[in-house]
Amino acid sequence: MSEMKPSDVAAAEDSSEEQDWNAAKTFFDSLKSNKPRPPKPRFAVSIAVSSRTLFNMVAERKIYEEEGVEKYVAFQVEHENEPLKPGPAFPFVKALMNVNSRLRELYPDSEELFDIVLMTNNHAQVGVRLINSINHYDLTIERFCMTGGKSPIGYLEAYMTNLYLSKDSDKVTEAIEAGIAAATVFMPEKESELSDTQLRVAFDGDAVLFSDESEIIVKQHGLDTFFEHEKHFENQPLAQGPLKCFLEALGKLQRKFYSKNERLNCPIRTFLVTARSAASSGARVLKTLRSWGLEIDEALFLAGAPKGPLLQKIQPHIFFDDQMFHIEGAKDLGTIAAHVPYGIGQKYHKGKLIEQPAKKE
Amino acid sequence: MVSTVQNTDVKQKDSDHAVVVAVASRAVFEPGAGGGDGVYAEGVAFPLLQALQKVNERLLEENSAESLLFDIVLITTDSQQQQQSSQLISSTKHYGLEVSRFCFSTEEDFSESLLKNNVQLFLSTDRNEVSQTSQKGVLSALLDEYTASCPSEQLRVLLCGDAVIRPDTNPTPASRQAAQSFSARLGKMRQRFGMSDSPLSITLMTSCGGRDSCGGALQTLRSLGISADEAYCLAGAPQGPILSVLRPHFLLSDGFSGLED
Repeated sequence: MSEMKPSDVAAAEDSSEEQDWNAAKTFFDSLKSNKPRPPKPRFAVSIAVSSRTLFNMVAERKIYEEEGVEKYVAFQVEHENEPLKPGPAFPFVKALMNVNSRLRELYPDSEELFDIVLMTNNHAQVGVRLINSINHYDLTIERFCMTGGKSPIGYLEAYMTNLYLSKDSDKVTEAIEAGIAAATVFMPEKESELSDTQLRVAFDGDAVLFSDESEIIVKQHGLDTFFEHEKHFENQPLAQGPLKCFLEALGKLQRKFYSKNERLNCPIRTFLVTARSAASSGARVLKTLRSWGLEIDEALFLAGAPKGPLLQKIQPHIFFDDQMFHIEGAKDLGTIAAHVPYGIGQKYHKGKLIEQPAKKE
Repeated sequence: MVSTVQNTDVKQKDSDHAVVVAVASRAVFEPGAGGGDGVYAEGVAFPLLQALQKVNERLLEENSAESLLFDIVLITTDSQQQQQSSQLISSTKHYGLEVSRFCFSTEEDFSESLLKNNVQLFLSTDRNEVSQTSQKGVLSALLDEYTASCPSEQLRVLLCGDAVIRPDTNPTPASRQAAQSFSARLGKMRQRFGMSDSPLSITLMTSCGGRDSCGGALQTLRSLGISADEAYCLAGAPQGPILSVLRPHFLLSDGFSGLED
């Protein structure tokens, strides 16, 4: 799983990194504009977003799929002065920017900020429209990779990415397998009013924050066995899941507000939304989080009730879950849901084992 | 003293339209190493040469009368290699490399011989050599440890949009002009192929500035007739990790910044 960035690096790497960093710092300082300088990647929480999650490119995508890449690029170039409409990750990005402003107020010299990187396998010519759109909304995205069709995975690793959001589930799966927290973002069916002063992130528990070990028991042996098992192992922490490190990164930034007495006014709030029930299987989850030294602001145990209505009340900027069933439920009621393709949940739909077609190579 | 020998195994290119690329023989073949049978072992620039050849091959597939091709010249000042000039020639033929001619020059006449041969790009693993030729106005690029592990089926050229990635190869206005005109010809070659499955890939990278630097550079490239395939804006992020994923065969810096000129 994506680890916190290593602090022990070979001296040679360090000095060329310093050179690159100082050159950019000088450049940005010379700009004499109000534009905030992008943070040093080593200390920042890097969030990589794809072009289709940042912007709504549904119509353009259709052209790509039906008429091919040449027509698609030509279309984008023709319309490059028309800004794209916001996509599903847009509110999340705005919320990250807000947290950065608050952090800069309290810690003007710190590099511990969110670093938003555009990671797309679009052709560089499409990039002009993307840059124009970013300018239109004045988003603080200064770093990007436009790979012209190549896989972005290598670049995700090169940028020490803490979270990758894409519409392409194959890329997301590849990222997770490479140990990078990642999810496939879905556009909700209806719009909802999201907070513009607080970043709200909701996580499912099993197979998202935690491993799928308990989920396997439910799927293969049923609920009763599951409850017994969880009670029995209440004091044994669960293994970590693909998004644990992202929660950890959020917690680190939250503590920066707490130490400046801003706990009540903290612009980051985290939620656990789990199908587990508080009485029988909830304790293990809370104890696991405690053993990891992680806090979660609100833990909601649904005991199997649908997540959609509750998420409607929470109104998170993003909700992570491993099961498409919950993702569908969430998006139907207006929540921006992101699927984490990890664990045994991928082989099941609504509790039934999916007939696997022969894997296409 | 400069002497030139043509490679009779290879069809000579149309000198009015071809893009002459000179590669230091020391980069193509391991100096001194014997590959057996009096043939040199492959050097760092081998994948690069194969990639240049691949471009030519595909260009001719598109149009058998194509004259905008790479014209590869092997150049050496190495007195040892000069003595073994026949070995150089026979090794080239052995590997079937599409080298048009061999240029044997002394150190003093080196830059002159490049200019005389209408060389549009000079590639070498020798930092001093590259620095000198660059000063004399020949577009030059340094080959390094990345080059050996680059792909041989696709030529990957990296254009650097701002600041200087290699501080010691500081280009002069003359070689900046050379960079732009070379890249424009590269852009023209690139147009012969479609978006995907191209044997030539042009990448833009800006290391210091933010998105506007990169956006500006993309526009500058367009005005030169170059349609970049990939673009990376680092804004101060470390270049090393990105370059090792990018794996360009060589980098050309300066002359592409949208903000400078």
